[in-house]
Amino acid sequence: MKIEGTHELRAPRERVWQALVDPSVLQRCIPGCERLERTGEDSYAATLRTGVGAIKGVFQGSVRLEDMSVPTHYRIVVDGKGQPGFLKGAGDLDLEERDGGTVVRYAGDVQVGGTLASVGQRMIQGAAKMMAAQFFTALEAEAQVEQGDPPPRHGFFRTALRAISGLLRQIFKRH
Amino acid sequence: MIPAQFDYAAPATLDEALSLLAERPDDAKILAGGHSLIPAMKLRLAQPALLIDIGRVKDLSYIREEGGQIRIGAMTTHYQLESSERLREICPLLPECAASIGDVQVRNKGTIGGSLAHADPAADWPAAIISLRAELVAVSSRGERVIAADDFFVDMLTTALRPDEVLREIRINAPGGRTGQAYMKVHHPASGFAVVGVAVSLTLGADGKCSAAGVGITGVATKAYRAAQVEGALVGSTPDEQTTASAASHAADGVDANGDIYASADYRRHLAVVYARRAIAEAVAKIK
Ligand SMILES: Cc1cc2nc3c(=O)[nH]c(=O)nc-3n(C[C@H](O)[C@H](O)[C@H](O)COP(=O)(O)OP(=O)(O)OC[C@H]3O[C@@H](n4cnc5c(N)ncnc54)[C@H](O)[C@@H]3O)c2cc1C
Repeated sequence: MKIEGTHELRAPRERVWQALVDPSVLQRCIPGCERLERTGEDSYAATLRTGVGAIKGVFQGSVRLEDMSVPTHYRIVVDGKGQPGFLKGAGDLDLEERDGGTVVRYAGDVQVGGTLASVGQRMIQGAAKMMAAQFFTALEAEAQVEQGDPPPRHGFFRTALRAISGLLRQIFKRH
Repeated sequence: MIPAQFDYAAPATLDEALSLLAERPDDAKILAGGHSLIPAMKLRLAQPALLIDIGRVKDLSYIREEGGQIRIGAMTTHYQLESSERLREICPLLPECAASIGDVQVRNKGTIGGSLAHADPAADWPAAIISLRAELVAVSSRGERVIAADDFFVDMLTTALRPDEVLREIRINAPGGRTGQAYMKVHHPASGFAVVGVAVSLTLGADGKCSAAGVGITGVATKAYRAAQVEGALVGSTPDEQTTASAASHAADGVDANGDIYASADYRRHLAVVYARRAIAEAVAKIK
């Protein structure tokens, strides 16, 4: 299954890039990420307790960052499995500067199998979009923090508020 | 196909249910008709530690008229709504939408409250509820609040309900004057869920021009949405064939559509336009 999307972050590209390669930032931004441990250069082991609404599951897996070209591009390769099913895929992230902010484009191909895929097929793409939106909303907040300041908090309400204000911005831009 | 261990409570009052939920908002789940939750538990895609069955709570299942509003209890089943003679007279969209859900077994057990709280992206009720500009009453041990349909659906399987809240009632302003309504849906051949579903409620003024329009669309995106541009194009115009077609052409404008193995995103957007046109035409045709 292909997933792709574009997110506009109001933070300079350098800062967005730094956030995207910092495992502690990534752990805070990936929805439900309980563990992200370095296992080698640009390789990590991850535990995700994540889901959408009442549907939840725990996944274990590995994440590898490849083809790094600071600060514009990397490729992310993920491989994970859990009780609800497995997930395998790779995607490209591209960062572009625009009006002092950053446009992040992602495009990837993911294979999902197991129970999740057999009964949840029609929701996988939606779930992926939803998690990507949560991830980039949190990432934006991280990238806006001045260096040396404490990281932002991503409680449910903060993330929801940020998501709503992001949505409003998009709506008003469209008209 | 066997769910994980869980505790079960069947409180007799709503207050009791709310205090149980307030104690364990993170791992307890309300059980209504069980037709979305139980299948997910059997597959272990959902593993709540406590089920709070509100099936025995009195007075959660009703269709009433009060202060110009139709009030529907959250535990009212799809079948009760489908078979209500009174609703067929005053708000036929509701029985029409109910009749399109799954099969008779599902409609006998499944509830309108459960469907709305679950917020499946392909569920039928959200389209109808949005088109009718309903209000949803949420209660918790902290009190009660009213949520507009437009604010209720947040994302896929995600609503504005907080973890300790129960959806208690749905309120709909009874449509007045010369109103026509229709629900048109492409059934998924296996589940019956909406590949695309369009709910329309349209009112004509004395001059034959559309004075109010509600258009809710489900199945296309991660959540049901109001087709505001379609409504805007209808209001103030005479909904003839040409106006209807041009209004309906905006049914998926600016919408991030979902695709799956059964229907691609483009196909869903296309269906939204076609079914919006048909649903508007049918709503107009029903106006006496
Ligand atoms: C074979 C099949 C076909 C179906 N086809 C369709 C279809 O064509 N169209 C369609 O729309 N639906 C369809 N459904 C879904 C059906 O309509 C469900 O009944 C409905 O989605 C959920 O209602 P429920 O009462 O069964 O809720 P439950 O399964 O009991 O609960 C669903 C979720 O909502 C929560 N919840 C329930 N009630 C409340 C409340 N009052 N307050 C707060 N939270 C609450 C629960 O905690 C749970 O998370 C189908 C289901 C099946 C099994």
